[in-house]
Formats: sequence, C-alpha cells, structure tokens
Amino acid sequence: MSRPRLNSAQRRGLLGSALLGLVVIAVVGAYYLWGEAWQARILYATFVNLLVVVGLQVFMGNANITSFAHAAFMGIAAYTAAICVTPAAMKAVSLPDAPWGLNAFELSPLASAALAVLITGVLGLLTGLFMARLNGVGMTIFSIAILVIVHSIFLHRTDIFKGNQALFGIPKILDLPQLTLMVVAAIFLARLFRESRTGLMLRAAADDEVGARAMGVDVFRVRLVAWVASTLFFAAAGIAYAFHLGTISARPFYFNFVFLTVAMLILGGLRSVSGAVFGTLLISIGLEAVRWLETGPVLAGVKLPELLGLSGLALGGVIVAVMAFLPNGLMGNREIDDLVLRRRNGG
Amino acid sequence: MDYLIQQSLNALSFGAEYALIALGLAIVFSIMRLVNFAHGEVIAFGGYSLAVTGTLLTGNPWILMACVVLACMAVAVVLERVAFRTVRGADLTTGLLTAFGVSIILQNLFLLLGSPRPVAATQFIFLDRTLTLGPVRVSSLQIYETAVTVAAIVALLLFLRRTTLGMALRAAALDFEMVRLCGLRANRVVAGAFAISGFLAGLACIFIMARRGSAQPHMGFDPVLSAFVACVIGGFGSLPGAVLGGFLLGIAEVAVLILLPQSAGGLAHAVVFALVALILVWRPDGILSPAREKGDKL
Amino acid sequence: MLEIGRLRVFHGVIEAVHGIDLCVREGECVALLGPNGAGKTSTLSAITGAARATGTIRLAGRDLSGLAIEDRCRLGIAIAPEGRRVFANLTVRENLVMGGAIRRDRRALAAEIDSWFQRFPVLGERRDQPAGTLSGGEQQMLAIARALLARPRILLLDEPSLGLAPQIVGRIFRIIEELKAQGTTILLVEQNAAAAIAVSDSVHVLSNGVVTRQGPAAAFGDGSGLMDELTGVHG
Ligand SMILES: Nc1ncnc2c1ncn2[C@@H]1O[C@H](COP(=O)(O)OP(=O)(O)OP(=O)(O)O)[C@@H](O)[C@H]1O
Ligand SMILES: [Mg+2]
Repeated sequence: MSRPRLNSAQRRGLLGSALLGLVVIAVVGAYYLWGEAWQARILYATFVNLLVVVGLQVFMGNANITSFAHAAFMGIAAYTAAICVTPAAMKAVSLPDAPWGLNAFELSPLASAALAVLITGVLGLLTGLFMARLNGVGMTIFSIAILVIVHSIFLHRTDIFKGNQALFGIPKILDLPQLTLMVVAAIFLARLFRESRTGLMLRAAADDEVGARAMGVDVFRVRLVAWVASTLFFAAAGIAYAFHLGTISARPFYFNFVFLTVAMLILGGLRSVSGAVFGTLLISIGLEAVRWLETGPVLAGVKLPELLGLSGLALGGVIVAVMAFLPNGLMGNREIDDLVLRRRNGG
Repeated sequence: MDYLIQQSLNALSFGAEYALIALGLAIVFSIMRLVNFAHGEVIAFGGYSLAVTGTLLTGNPWILMACVVLACMAVAVVLERVAFRTVRGADLTTGLLTAFGVSIILQNLFLLLGSPRPVAATQFIFLDRTLTLGPVRVSSLQIYETAVTVAAIVALLLFLRRTTLGMALRAAALDFEMVRLCGLRANRVVAGAFAISGFLAGLACIFIMARRGSAQPHMGFDPVLSAFVACVIGGFGSLPGAVLGGFLLGIAEVAVLILLPQSAGGLAHAVVFALVALILVWRPDGILSPAREKGDKL
Repeated sequence: MLEIGRLRVFHGVIEAVHGIDLCVREGECVALLGPNGAGKTSTLSAITGAARATGTIRLAGRDLSGLAIEDRCRLGIAIAPEGRRVFANLTVRENLVMGGAIRRDRRALAAEIDSWFQRFPVLGERRDQPAGTLSGGEQQMLAIARALLARPRILLLDEPSLGLAPQIVGRIFRIIEELKAQGTTILLVEQNAAAAIAVSDSVHVLSNGVVTRQGPAAAFGDGSGLMDELTGVHG
C-alpha cells in the first residue's frame, strides 16, 4: 500500500496547521487556567466563527470571489441538526404544527450531524453548479440571492423553523473541548486544501483566469470543488452552534453575521488560513472590548455614556482601514510557517 | 380595469424607484468598477438630513426636497473622497469590501448619533394622497414617482449627450486612461459620477421618505439590494440596463405578489431573488451587458 | 521642446526601457523606430505619465516628474495612441469635443472641429455616427485630429500606420508631412522605417529598451540598412 505522498508545500502546510492548532489550544488553555465562567460562551462563539471564517477562506480566499451565502448554509445545517436531534416529546411542544412528521422522530446526535452535513453539502453542490459558471459580481449577487431566499424561507415557514422566535429544547451535545478539536481539524483541512493541486489551480485562476484556462485548468470544476468544500465547513459550524446553545432562531443567520465573519477574514487576509485564524481571534477580542465600552462602563470613577453602535463602527472602520492600507490583510499571502521559518533562516 | 390600472401603476412606481437607485449604482460601476454597497446609506443620510433640517430650518417641503438632494450628493462625493479614492484601481473584491465597510460605518453612525428607533420626518407625507380619476382611484405618490423618474432619466440622457462631463463619463466607462490623456481630471470625472449617483439617490430618498415618514439606520438597505438585482438583470454597469432592470424588477415584484397565494406573501422576496438567480445563470452578463472593449480601468 | 534623460520605464517589476536619452526640438519631427517589444510604446507612456518611470522628462524646460496624466496633457502633450483608442461609444463629433475638452474657447473649438470635417470629409459625413463604426484608417485620422484639438506643444504618434492598407498609410504620412509643414512638433513611433525616415528630421532606433543608433534622418537613407534591426534578427 502506498501512502499518499505530500510535496514540500504540503509538508509545510502540516507544520503551519500544527502551529495554528497550538495557537488555538493555547487560547483554550489560557481560558481554563485564568478565564472566568462567563467567558466560555464568548470563546465558544469565537470558535464557531472560526470554523465559518476558515470555511470562507477555502472559497473566498483561494478563488478571490466575495460570497455572502455562508450564513444561509450554516443556518440550514443548524436547523437540520436541531430538528433531528431534539427529542420527539420536546418537539411536540416546540414544533406542534410541523409537517411531514418532523416532530415525531428523533435521531442520535451523530446521525443528526451526518444528515445535516449531507443536506448542506447537497445544497452546496446544487447551488455550486450554477454559481461556478458566473463571473465576479454575478457570483456575489448570486450568493446574496441564496442568503435572501433561505432567510425568507426560515421566516416564512414558522411551522418548521419558528422564524424569529426561538426553536428551543435542543439538547446540549458539544462543549468547548469537542469544538476545539473540530477547529483544529478544520485548520488542517483548509490548509491542506490550499496546498492541494485543486487549491493551487484555483489560486492560479484567481490571479489570471485566462492564463490558467490556457494551461488547462478547469476553472468551473475547481471552483465547484472549493464551493462545496466550504459549505461543509459552514455545516460543521452550524451543527456546533445548534448542539451547544439549546435554542436557535433565524435572526443570526443573516447579513449582520455575514458582515462580521467577512470582516474577520479581511482583517487577517483572505489569501491565507493563518490570516483567517488571526483575523477571527483579533476581531473577537477587539469586539468584546468595544462591546464593554458600548454598555457605558464606569472608567476611573467616570460613568461613560451608552454608545450603541460603537462595535459596528469599529468593525466597519477596521474593514475600510485594512482595505486602504493593507489590501491583502495582516498576513497577505503568508502563512504562519512563512513567518516562523523566515525568522529562523534570517537569524 | 380599476385593479389593472392600480397594479400597473404599482409596478411602474416600484420600478421607478429601483431604476433611480440602480442608475446611481451603474454610473459609478461603469467608470470605477466599484460595487457601491454604501449607496443605501447615502439614501439613509438623506432621510436623516430631512429629519434634522425639517426640525431646525424650515417646514417648507420644496426647500427640504432641495436639501435632501443636496445632502445626498454631498455625502456621495465626500464618501468617494475619503473612502473610495484610496482603492481606486484596486480589484473588484477590494472595492466591494471597502464599500461594504463604509456601509457598516454609516449605519452605526446613524445608530450612535440618532437612534435605533425610527426618527420621524413626515414633511413629505403630503405627496401621498388618493386621487380619484373618474372611476379609478390611484395614489398620487406613485404618479409623481413615475413621472419624476422619467424626467430624471431624460435629464440624465441630455446631460450625458450635451455636456463635456457627460461625454467624459460615457467615454470613461470604456477607456478611463484615454479620457485622462485628453486632459480631463480623473478626480473630477469620478466626483461627477458620484454626484450624479447621489442626485438620483436623493430623488429616490424623497419618495421613500414620503412613504415611510421616518428615517432609520437600515432604511436604504433593502431598496439598494433590489437595485443591485436590477443592475444584474440589466447587465452591471450598463445605464440602459439599469433602467430596464429596475422596471422589470418592479413588474416582477408586483406580478409575484398578485400570483402568489395570500398565505405565501412572505415568500415574494424569495421568489424574486430566485428569478434573478435564474436570469444570472441564463445570461451571466445580464440582459444588456455593457460594451467593454478595454478591461483595464484607472 | 522635449528633453528626455536616462529614462527607465517600468511595468510592475518589469523594466521595459533601460535609460534612454532623446531630444525633440521645436518644429522638429523625430522618429523612434524599433522592432516589436523594443519599448517604444513604453517610452511614450512614460512621457504621458501612464507608465511609471525614472529619469528626467522636460517639456519646454519644465520637469514633468510627479505630474498626473491629465496635468501633462494640460501642459501640452497630446497622443494618438497605439491602437487608436477612439471612444467607440461616442460619436465622431463627441470624440473631437473630448479632444478639445481642456480648452476654454468653445467657439474657436467648434470652428476648428468643422475645419477638421472639411479636411477629412469622411469624418464630416459620419460626424454623428459612433466612432466604433469607422474603418481603421478613419479612426486613425480621428485619433490624430482628437489629439491636435488640445493644441499641444508636442504631438506623440504611436504607430499611426499599424494595420492599414498601403494607400491609407500614404495618406496618413501625407497628413504628418502637412502637420510638420505647419510647424507641429512631433515624436513619431513607427515600424515602417522608410516612410517614417522620409518625414523626419532625426531618427532614434530602439531595441530591447536601449537606443542602438541615432542621427539625422539623412544618415539613414531610405531605411533599408535598418531591416535587420527592425525585424529583430540580431535583436
Ligand atoms: N502593461 C504591461 N505589463 C507588463 N509588461 C509590459 C506592459 N506593457 C509592455 N510590457 C513589456 O514591455 C516591453 C516593451 O513593450 P512596448 O509595448 O513598449 O513595446 P513596443 O516597442 O511598443 O512594441 P510594439 O511595436 O509591439 O508596439 C515588452 O517586453 C512588453 O512585454
Ligand atoms: Mg507599441
């Protein structure tokens, strides 16, 4: 049996992913050592966002096309997993009017998650077949169309999704340790995808589509693969979200969440997985600080005024500043291993 | 008969609003390749400026209309100066994301300086009355909206054909560098495009405010989202395409509302966007894709 | 009128021209010859400000470095560029108006446009047609007229004969001769060596981004000695 051989870029990728994994584990470790209980919620949310942003990087970063559909796929996975895993007795209360016997069955967590991934992936494939044929702006608008359509359906079918009300009674299945594992795995997968043949062809096509086509790259195919792969990351994020919070509603799966995650990716730099990770961590930390200011805290004896909108202002400011001064984000085209190895070579 | 006229007027006035906004998006896109996500906040700015000038300055609606239009033009030009000039010539993604950052900033500024709740500004409500024309009862606002849009399109057409700046704008859509080689200042041409887009947004803002009677941070988001769709239908960057797309979208929305059963009313938005997705797949460059001989922009 | 010293031109990281010197005196026509990819267009782009360059470029004694494209045009540089680049979606008349867009004297401009229509009746007949519908030769005439309507101090012509039938090429060169006779200062980029030498006062030969030969036009005869250099056989 021959093991799949890794080329040097892919070996570097493993190293880089391991380093990023260590960063993630260090964050978790710091929380367990010094953190306070209320920070668990924030950390969990940050890691769910991290899954989404790494997934976004897989498509947006490699193909250099802006997509806003991720919240829709995450929502689909979250609702599928939640509806499947919630005990039938509970659903009799929470979803009394659900059609097709949706409130009369229950699945194990694993089966629920598998079904959620399957459904999201199939929808990703179906949309991708159309999506991958379009050009830049067309793709972005198409992704917005997906987002709007899915959101309208969530709001309209209150018998299944409860719309803006909470779908409650979902058992708590995942916690920080499991999510940490998922995040580390996602980092490895995204980085290996970036360094894979498909990832390489996709990046080549992003830089010079005509040239890549001339060299025999099937742009449609590689875009489709990346699109479907990224929806699987969103599915994982949706499942992690639903399996922890106990309740979900349609509201978070819309533009505000899209803006937040895209800002994270942009700050770090969408061309590298390390950028996705650092951008998410930085914005999450920064936003917590700003949110604290927003509530009008007492600083040095002075009660600051309540400043609703400050966090959004900061978020927008970060995006504009990054685009103006660092259009490729903090990391640009570099990965964490590039930084580490350069330093070692230089020293 | 009554019903038919009312629904056609509905479609026309929806379409007119989308066409006004879409034209503003298209004129900026055609010369800068910038997908201006912040256009909705220009409209919202107009709404807030109405609320402010309406309470501080005067109650005269005609003066206020001029104020709204000027405010929209000014903010559009200022946004270009402070935010979009730095990313001029950058790729599509960079421009799109910058605009989208600007949009978030403005929305939150409105939130911070105004309030998350609607701020009342009812000075234009008087435009909306029910007129009885013989056997037919129609909304005066819809008639004004359609008429003003048609007039604005004609005026824009004359401007683009008769003035040097207008010609420069049309020429820049094809080859911006050659326009500069003719000695026209790039900054002026771009500022001109933004001023026009702000002017059209200001007109749209007047009608939106006449209907809503209040300003809110997110008030521009949905209309601009629809205008994007209109641009895509017509072919992004094509001015006739924006107008055509706007009116087609208005017709489609009204048709969907009529045809969809009452219970599924909430899905109208979804159906319209699905139609758009289909049009995109059928014709990736829109129905009237713009003539573009040279791809490289300033 | 135009003095260029140690000019290097860059496209991104690629250096296309490696330090050339060139001088065009008032009323003179200078030919810049060279094979494909020699850096002729790059040199003109550096003069107009469209390409990044180092070295000195002076127009009537004034240093142009750091000036934007449009400011250089306003100082008196006009170009009929490679590929003509007429505004295909504008009418012939509108193209000419764009050429004179920096001028304040609207009346005189309108009269001058009319005189161009008399000079080139084909353009006059098609004045309200989109410029994209003109033939290649007509577009070249339009591009030259458009450049001259800015009343430049120096006219840059980039391969005006490119892709045209011999008869039309003759026509174009007759126009250049007439312009020169009227005192227009011209920097002419060409691959058609014989015709260019015939209308020029001095000649520079560019190859791989450096000037390989230069001298008065008379020294080049009918240009047959340049065959090898221009076809790039030894390039
Ligand atoms: N925009 C550009 N980007 C990268 N390289 C360029 C660009 N424009 C020109 N070059 C390179 O610079 C060199 C000189 O090109 P230039 O267009 O100046 O040649 P030329 O003498 O005008 O040729 P031709 O007779 O074919 O017009 C060429 O090697 C070309 O590949
Ligand atoms: Mg050339």
